Amino acid sequence: MPEFLAEPFMQRALLAAIILGPLCGLLGVFVTARRMSFFSETIAHSALTGVALGFLAGFKEPTVPVLFVCCVLAVAMLWLKEHSSLLTDTIMAVLLSTSVAVGVVLLSLQRSRWADLDKYLFGDILSVSWNDVGIAAGIALTVGIVVFRYLNPLTLLATNEDLAHVSGVRVRPLNYAFVLLVTLTVALGVRLLGIVLVTSLVVIPAATARGFAHNLRQHLLFGILAGFVGASGGVALSYPLNLPTGPTITLTLATLFLVSLVFARARRRAAATSIRTQPGTVP
Amino acid sequence: MAPQPVMPVDNALEVHDVHVQLGDTAVLRGVHLQVPRGRIVAVIGPNGCGKTTLLRCLLGLQKVDRGEIRLFGKPVGPDVLARVGYVPQRLQIDPSFSLSVREFLALRRRETRFWFWQRHRVTDAVLRETLAELDAVHLLSRPLAGLSGGQLQRVLIAYSLLGAPELLLLDEPTAGVDTPGEHSFYELIASIHRRLGITVMLVSHDLGMVFRHAAWVYALNGVVCCEGRPEEVLDAESLKAAYGIHVAPYQHHHHAGHPHAHPVVAPPGQSVPIAFRKR
Repeated sequence: MPEFLAEPFMQRALLAAIILGPLCGLLGVFVTARRMSFFSETIAHSALTGVALGFLAGFKEPTVPVLFVCCVLAVAMLWLKEHSSLLTDTIMAVLLSTSVAVGVVLLSLQRSRWADLDKYLFGDILSVSWNDVGIAAGIALTVGIVVFRYLNPLTLLATNEDLAHVSGVRVRPLNYAFVLLVTLTVALGVRLLGIVLVTSLVVIPAATARGFAHNLRQHLLFGILAGFVGASGGVALSYPLNLPTGPTITLTLATLFLVSLVFARARRRAAATSIRTQPGTVP
Repeated sequence: MAPQPVMPVDNALEVHDVHVQLGDTAVLRGVHLQVPRGRIVAVIGPNGCGKTTLLRCLLGLQKVDRGEIRLFGKPVGPDVLARVGYVPQRLQIDPSFSLSVREFLALRRRETRFWFWQRHRVTDAVLRETLAELDAVHLLSRPLAGLSGGQLQRVLIAYSLLGAPELLLLDEPTAGVDTPGEHSFYELIASIHRRLGITVMLVSHDLGMVFRHAAWVYALNGVVCCEGRPEEVLDAESLKAAYGIHVAPYQHHHHAGHPHAHPVVAPPGQSVPIAFRKR
């Protein structure tokens, strides 16, 4: 057994990474396709308000308040999008900065908790409890089942909402459900990677998978794989290298992304060469 | 109680006194139209005349403030929309989304309704057959996001046809398609219409298309200004009513001594034919 697995906190962190990595990889394909990366960033930042409110309310572990606040913010975002003429980007920027400000002000009122700010900004595997792992497993299972059950409508929704409507998809409920799934997943990832870096676990695996995939099926499979390798590899590497876990996961994911860029470039060159060398092709 | 208007069910589409207000603008101000089954019709008008709003109402995407819309004699709803094929102007698809044409078309098939990637003997044969009819079978494995405007339109029509529609609604179908591509596209629509006998409604600001392919035209500008056969509707007065500026049909001579009623219109005094495109 590797040395780092002897530590209970590493066991918990690795388990959380194995649950969250593939889940983020799966959802990330649809998040990037629907240009919702900034949405996941906004949700992650709203977690700070959840953390501060959780401590104020006397919670020992703020996972449940974080999930609650993130969901409230996601619904607020959708409501504003439907009931105002503001651009989605504007709505998200307003909510992101406001929720960070509220979180910091509330934390500053609790001097004893001020030192915890770093843990939530950049992640802290020591703070991942068995309770967190249990919640993550339950939510991951639910999200996974819902996504695979509604894979076809979600795919159609990513191409054109009007076409999805005419094809019989109930667009509005599915949009709300998808936003809720992303929100729950991002909120869970905050404990492992921190508010600042959690979006990397959603976006980078999907972007990495794009370099290897020829179709959506491969894109989803490689996205899940890249999420798994990046998250669990990052946790495993952080222990012997004595590096903070969140940034190490992000750097592992970024390395995978670089490899996929090189691979995709080599593949395009090979395709161009084969076209040029075909008989009858004008160079 | 006021008597309900009598609506015979042999019409594919009926729009009765439809009003829609968007913000401060009354976009549709009492639109009436009836499209008999099996006809190929066009709704034309300048940008902002309410074409898109009307289309959204027909698809149940926009509520009407007043009036009534019926498809095949029934109010717009999921059951009746199942008989409609819709070809949008474009997809919102991100280049990073690697959905292939095969996967996209499989979304429309019942046997692959849970997972689009299921390889199914029937699905594959049907997809190939449908694409072959549209001269697009070579696109089957291509990523959807990498298609040109013309190729995408063919794939979107294939998607609609896989649902065996009785009414095909096309929104500005040749926006972003070059002229030869545009011509072959409308030929394709005409051949589908002849072969399957389905009702086709084209929504466009392109008058050229109307002259060549539509059997009946509705000129829209908040209300239906006029309707009739293209050569009847597309006279200077009707166009002025619809477009709000003076335009005149342009006679284009393909061969000496054989004037050919050309779709293109030009402002008076302008010698070069221009397509009526404002975008």
